[in-house]
Amino acid sequence: MPKVRLMPEFAAFIRTLESPPDNVDLVHELLSTVWEKAPDASKRDRISFETALVELASNVIKHADAGDGVTYTITIKIHHDAIEAEVVDSGKQAHVELNDPSFPDDLAESGRGIPLIMALVDHISYDRNENLNTWNIKRKFRA
Amino acid sequence: MNIHTKVLGDGVTVLKLVGKLNMVSAPHLRDVISSAIVAGNSRVAIDLSGVDFMDSSGLGALINGLKTARQAGGDLRIASPTEQVQLVLELTNIDRVLKAYDDAEGAFNA
Repeated sequence: MPKVRLMPEFAAFIRTLESPPDNVDLVHELLSTVWEKAPDASKRDRISFETALVELASNVIKHADAGDGVTYTITIKIHHDAIEAEVVDSGKQAHVELNDPSFPDDLAESGRGIPLIMALVDHISYDRNENLNTWNIKRKFRA
Repeated sequence: MNIHTKVLGDGVTVLKLVGKLNMVSAPHLRDVISSAIVAGNSRVAIDLSGVDFMDSSGLGALINGLKTARQAGGDLRIASPTEQVQLVLELTNIDRVLKAYDDAEGAFNA
């Protein structure tokens, strides 16, 4: 039997936010701590993942809120070759099309969040289970 | 985000944005652009050199401003995007609609 060596993520960050009053500025704050522990992330990796995660949090704040705010937990894991985030909320079910990466018309003022995330990360998934929404995004580090 | 307004005359206003243009600050930018246009300055130049982050909400505010300016007979132009802003403009294909100028104050002379 070959010996299996586990490669655990070397850092994980968890934060629970309530919007309102919390807003996406706190997501930027959380990420500024994360980047200190991710020396392998290039500037392009950092700006791509930060944009994707802020878009995702914005989406949850805008669309999961049934009228009395939304509580969501962000977990960020740094792997040796990638960075991953999971966002879990107990709000409304999302109705999203994750197979269609196309953008709306040039002069549309909304509807770009999800396709923009898809352009920035290697993986995006959404699951609805037991009244919880779970989003996951992952970006591999580029050389 | 802070917004510094400079009226150049000839209907041109330069708005220098400093900070993050996201769902928190986008409504404020929308209001400032509308106010400039209502005041008769429908040629709006946005200096993005101080914006270290913009998301699709911020982009929506710029497009809203573009449409409002054009309806008033003017235009909205952007200048000096940072790396992150340029990435978002390119990935969303909005760089086809909003070409980036080198200098906000000269955007309407170019």
